[in-house]
Amino acid sequence: MKTVAEIEITTEGIRLNGRPVETSGVGADMLNEAYRHYVNDYPKFFKMDGLGKLGFLASELLLQQIDEERFVPREDRAVVLFNRSGSIEADRHYQSTISDADNFFPSPSVFVYTLPNIVTGEIAIRNKYLGETSFCVLDHEDEPKMQQVIEGAFQDGVTTSILTGWVDYSDHSHFSANIKLITNKNE
Amino acid sequence: MEDLVLELKNEIIEALNLEDVKPEDINDDDPLFGSGLGLDSIDALELIVLLERKYGIKLKDPNKGKEVFKSINVMAKFITENRTK
Amino acid sequence: MIPIYITGSGVVSAIGVGKEATLAALQAGQTGVRKLKYLDSCHDELPVGEVQLSNHEMNQLMGVADDLRHTRTALMGRLALREALKEARLERDDLKAIPFISATTVGGMDRREAYYAQEAECDDVHAEISTHHCGSSTEMIAEPFGEFASMATLSTACSSATNALITGANMLRCGMADIVVVGGSESLSKFHLNGFNALMILDHEQCRPFDRDRAGLNLGEGAAYLVLETEASVKRRGVKPQFVLSGYGNACDAFHQTASSPDGEGAYLAMQEALQLAGLKPEDIQYINAHGTGTPNNDESESHAIQRVFGEHLPPVSSTKSFTGHTTSASGSIEAVFCLLALQHQFLLPNLNWHEPMEDGIIPVMEQKPQGEIRHILSNAFGFGGNDSSIILSKL
Repeated sequence: MKTVAEIEITTEGIRLNGRPVETSGVGADMLNEAYRHYVNDYPKFFKMDGLGKLGFLASELLLQQIDEERFVPREDRAVVLFNRSGSIEADRHYQSTISDADNFFPSPSVFVYTLPNIVTGEIAIRNKYLGETSFCVLDHEDEPKMQQVIEGAFQDGVTTSILTGWVDYSDHSHFSANIKLITNKNE
Repeated sequence: MEDLVLELKNEIIEALNLEDVKPEDINDDDPLFGSGLGLDSIDALELIVLLERKYGIKLKDPNKGKEVFKSINVMAKFITENRTK
Repeated sequence: MIPIYITGSGVVSAIGVGKEATLAALQAGQTGVRKLKYLDSCHDELPVGEVQLSNHEMNQLMGVADDLRHTRTALMGRLALREALKEARLERDDLKAIPFISATTVGGMDRREAYYAQEAECDDVHAEISTHHCGSSTEMIAEPFGEFASMATLSTACSSATNALITGANMLRCGMADIVVVGGSESLSKFHLNGFNALMILDHEQCRPFDRDRAGLNLGEGAAYLVLETEASVKRRGVKPQFVLSGYGNACDAFHQTASSPDGEGAYLAMQEALQLAGLKPEDIQYINAHGTGTPNNDESESHAIQRVFGEHLPPVSSTKSFTGHTTSASGSIEAVFCLLALQHQFLLPNLNWHEPMEDGIIPVMEQKPQGEIRHILSNAFGFGGNDSSIILSKL
C-alpha cells in the first residue's frame, strides 16, 4: 500500500502533503473561507453539516492536486472514514429542533446529516465514486485498527485506491481531519 | 404582498442555506425547482416546515408542495390565502 | 474466496426473541408491526416494529439488575449476542482472540433524550447520559460475555450491520483473525422517529413493500449477531457449520444523500459484486431478501436494480420489513438471520400486506413453499449516503 497524498486540517489551519495551505479565520469560518477560495463551484457545500464540510473540503483540496481525471464515474476508489464523535454536531442541531414542545419543528435537512457516513456519500456524489464506502466509530484515532479495516477494503478485487482517514467534528471550534489517498500499488 | 415576497425570499435563503444568494437574485415568477437555485426534494420538505413554522400552514401531502412552491409569487399568494399566523 | 463459515447466530426483533420464536412468526405470517407501546412518543399514529419487551424485562432475561446507563440498543444486543455465542459454543476465554464488530447509529439516544431537559445540570460523568455514544452500546453489549480481542462500531445507516459482516469477513480473509463476531443493534428513539417523519417517508399504516400504493416505511428495532469462522478454526474447534457467507459487495449510489437513483446503480453494482465474489450466476440464486422498505423511492429503485441484474432469471423476491418494520442499522444482520432460517428450514420468506403490482416493479412472493431446493439467498441492505450492500448466504 502506498500513500499518494495527505491532508491535515485543524481549527487553526491546513497542511497539504506537509506544506501549509493559506487560510483565513479559524474554526468553521476557516472552512467556509477555504471552500470559497479553493473550490467555490458546489453550492450544496453550505447545506452540509460541519462533518460534511470538513470531509468534503479535505477531499477537494487533496484531490485537486492529484494528476487524474475527476468527476468520471469509477468503481475502483473506496471512501473509508473514521471518527470518535459520530455526527454529534448535526445531532445536537437536530435535537434543538425537537426539544421545545411549543416550538416543535423537526428539520428534515438537518436530520439528513445525523448519520456519520453521509460525509462519505457527499464525497462520492461529488466525485462520482461508485465503489465501497464505509464509516467506523472508534474510541480514538486508532491507527492499527484503521489499518486493519483499510487492508480489508482492498480484498474485493475491485478497489485500487482508498480515500481514508480520521475526520472528527464535535463543534465549530473543535474538529480535525487527517485524510490520505492510498493505493494498493507498491511502486 | 411585496413585503411578504421579500420576507419569503429571506426566509427561504436562510432555511435552505442558500449562502451566496441575495433576495434580488431570485425572480418572483421563476420556477423555484429545476432552476438556478438547484433545490431538491429535501429542500421541498424544509419549505413545508417553513410554511408551518412561520405561517401556521400544515401541508400533509408532500406532492401538494409541487404546486405551492411553483414560484415565489405562487407561494406568497398561497400563504396570503391560508396563513394562520 | 476462502470459505467464510457461519457457526452461530442470534436475533431479537418485533417478531420474537430468539430464532425459535422468530421462525414460528415467519412461518405463521404473523407481523410484529403494531401500535406504539414502549417508546414514550406522542406519535402513536405511526405503526412500529417494537421488540415486545420493556428494558426491565430484557434485564430480567439476562439476569441482571436495572441500570440507568443501560441503553435499549445494548439490552437487545445482549440477548442476540448470547444466542449467537451459545450456538457457536464460544466461552468467555475464547473471546480474547475474537474481534467484535457491532453496528449502530442510535446507540444510547434513548438515554440522552430521556435526560435532555436536565442536561445543563448533568456533568460529564453523569451516569444516565454517559452512555449515549455509539461505542458505549457496543461495549455494553459485549460486557456480560467477556473481553473480546478488539471492538469496533460501524455506522453507515441502514447498511451498517451488513457492512459489519463484510468488514468481519474481510478480516478473516486477510488473516487478521480466525473467528469474528459481527452484527448490529438499534432501538427506536424519538430522535429518529421524528426525523423520518420530517422526511415524510413513514407510512401511517402497516407498510406495503413493492405494492403500487405503498406509502412509506414503518420503523422497527432489534438486534442480530453472527459468528464467522475460517476453515482452520472450524476444524480446530470441531464445530459443524451449516452455512457460509459466500459472497458480498458494497457500492455507492453516488446520487443523493437519502434518495436512491432511479435505476438503482449502487444496488446493481453491489449485487453484481456479491455474485462475482461468490462465483455464482443470477440463476443460482433461489430467493432474494430485498431491502424493500416500502417507500415509493426504494422499492422502485431496487426493483429496477434487481431486474437489471437478474433479467429473465428472477427468483422469488420479498421484503421481511412487513414483519419487523425497518430496523435500520440492525436490519442487515436481522434479515441475514431470517435468511439462515429460510435456508435451514427450506421455506421462502413471504412479503406481507401486498395487494397491487407496481408499474414495472417486482411482484413479490407471498407463499412459503419453494419450487426446489433453496441453496443460495441474496440479501440487500441500502443505507442513506448511497451506501448499498449485498450479501449471499449459502447452505452447505
